[in-house]
Amino acid sequence: MKNATLLLSLSLALGAATGCVSRPVVDDSRLDYAATTTRIEAQDIRRTVEAMAESLISDPGVLEATGGARPVLDIEPMKNRSQMIVDMQSITDSVRTRLIRSRLFRFVDRSTAGADIAIMDEQAQLGLTDPRKAVRPGQQTAAQMYLTGSLTDIVNRVGNRSDHYYKFNMILKDLRTGEIVWTDEKEIRKVAHRPYL
Amino acid sequence: MKRLATIICVAAVAVAVAGCSTTSGTSVTLRHDDGSALISEGNTRLHNSIAVTAVTYDKVPAGLNRANFQITSLVQREQYLQYRIAWYNSEGMEIDGEARTYRPLSLQGMDSVTVSGVAPGPAAVTSRIRIRELRASE
Repeated sequence: MKNATLLLSLSLALGAATGCVSRPVVDDSRLDYAATTTRIEAQDIRRTVEAMAESLISDPGVLEATGGARPVLDIEPMKNRSQMIVDMQSITDSVRTRLIRSRLFRFVDRSTAGADIAIMDEQAQLGLTDPRKAVRPGQQTAAQMYLTGSLTDIVNRVGNRSDHYYKFNMILKDLRTGEIVWTDEKEIRKVAHRPYL
Repeated sequence: MKRLATIICVAAVAVAVAGCSTTSGTSVTLRHDDGSALISEGNTRLHNSIAVTAVTYDKVPAGLNRANFQITSLVQREQYLQYRIAWYNSEGMEIDGEARTYRPLSLQGMDSVTVSGVAPGPAAVTSRIRIRELRASE
């Protein structure tokens, strides 16, 4: 009888304990949210992309360098010189998306060059494609400029106060002349402090 | 009498809390074809603490519209605000609405700050700035 009571108690305790392990509640959330950490967050990336694209669109130097024509750009992924792990390729991709949607810039994409060659080879060799319509290598547009940049940070901790400073820097470089046609920075500073009580 | 005072206090606190959770703010709609600006103020506290004191517009060299809004603090304390500039086509539909972000704006006491926004494309003919308190976004 004593053993049965003990077994029952253990079963009840186990059941209660597993019942207490609640599943997390997940909701869709707005993309714009007030800062919750001192790290780079989604809204920081979105604001930076928007500011950089607007700055580049507003700058007269790009159109001067191309004689008023829509320039053809390439992107070189930004360098991450901060202590945080950030997908820098994603940031340059987002800036590219904004610029293409403005209809003021054209882009080439070197990252898919291998796939381009493979498709052209297939068109030429498999015999499935009409030879007159097959795309041959050597006709792609050349990029006149490329977009790149960097992310740096400075972190200071004093007592219960943590101060994080981030700086996004982007440049647009003319391939032919080697000149920097446009550059801009976006600074983000976040301060966190833990109350004593 | 004491009970009545308690009820009034509770009601005041409830109203204050409800006021903190509002997401409405000040907005200015600017038509770039005729330059008309429509100011809408949906938050009493923000109405008393900031004012949009100047609205100008021009075009960037690439031909896209640009809007500039001067925001002035009417109070001595520093304010933490957010603003979002949205763009609309000639039919009044928002362009790239989900891609437009709220940007932080720190406004010193009795200071003025000018913020600008560039249209996302040539179809954007009307801009609208919406300003809200940072607390409302949390």
